[in-house]
Amino acid sequence: MSVENPIAKVRGMGSSGGGVSHWRSQRYSSLLLIPLSLWLLWLGVSIAGADFETVKSAMSQPFNSGMAIMLAVTMFYHTQLGLQVVIEDYVHIPALEVGLLLLVRVACLAAILISVIAALILVLGA
Amino acid sequence: MQKDGILMNKRPMSPYMLGPYYKFQITSLLSILNRLTGVFLSVITAPLLMWWLVSLASGAEAFARLSSWLSGFAGLLVIAASVFCLSFHLFAGIRHLIWDVGWMMEIPQVRLSGWLTVVASLLLTLLVVGAGL
Repeated sequence: MSVENPIAKVRGMGSSGGGVSHWRSQRYSSLLLIPLSLWLLWLGVSIAGADFETVKSAMSQPFNSGMAIMLAVTMFYHTQLGLQVVIEDYVHIPALEVGLLLLVRVACLAAILISVIAALILVLGA
Repeated sequence: MQKDGILMNKRPMSPYMLGPYYKFQITSLLSILNRLTGVFLSVITAPLLMWWLVSLASGAEAFARLSSWLSGFAGLLVIAASVFCLSFHLFAGIRHLIWDVGWMMEIPQVRLSGWLTVVASLLLTLLVVGAGL
């Protein structure tokens, strides 16, 4: 038995207070990802087996480029939120948990920047 | 946490309670599948999509290298698995959004929407993979 007052435990281990905004961000991004995922599947079917020039010209169209940019931003944001929950649920070694959470954040931010730059290169024809 | 005694340590931790403590059923199976497909999409599919876009922007040589790998056996397997994971996560996500507005919360409805999710994601996977071949 511990002699520690329960309120002390709550102060140290209780709610972070950020749960609602995390939940909402996950739902809003998932709503956006419904049409974006359908676009991705359609794109995949329409360019399957096509050669470099065909695919390049498809991704140089402003519509496809814009969808790719919106997909990259929303998908990697949703990925960060989802992996965060998985790590928080299953990784119980504090140093590893914090390290993984940081890694996921940095990797998702980098992935957004890289994808957006690639999509801009294709549409602007650099 | 451990100081509180043996009882705390003997509690089954998620997700290890699924096999020995709870009977597997459509609800828990789809719950863990939604996570697993989400992790697959995060670790494999999303980075692959980024890599694909980067190699397309890099030029014909880089794109040809990725294309030849993707058209091999391992590549096709990754694509098919990605299509299934995306289809499943899409419909399972829609199921969650429906719950979020308070609909379909009764157990028979939850089971029904679970089976609909399975059927719809398999059909979409077959449709996309079939059309892409």
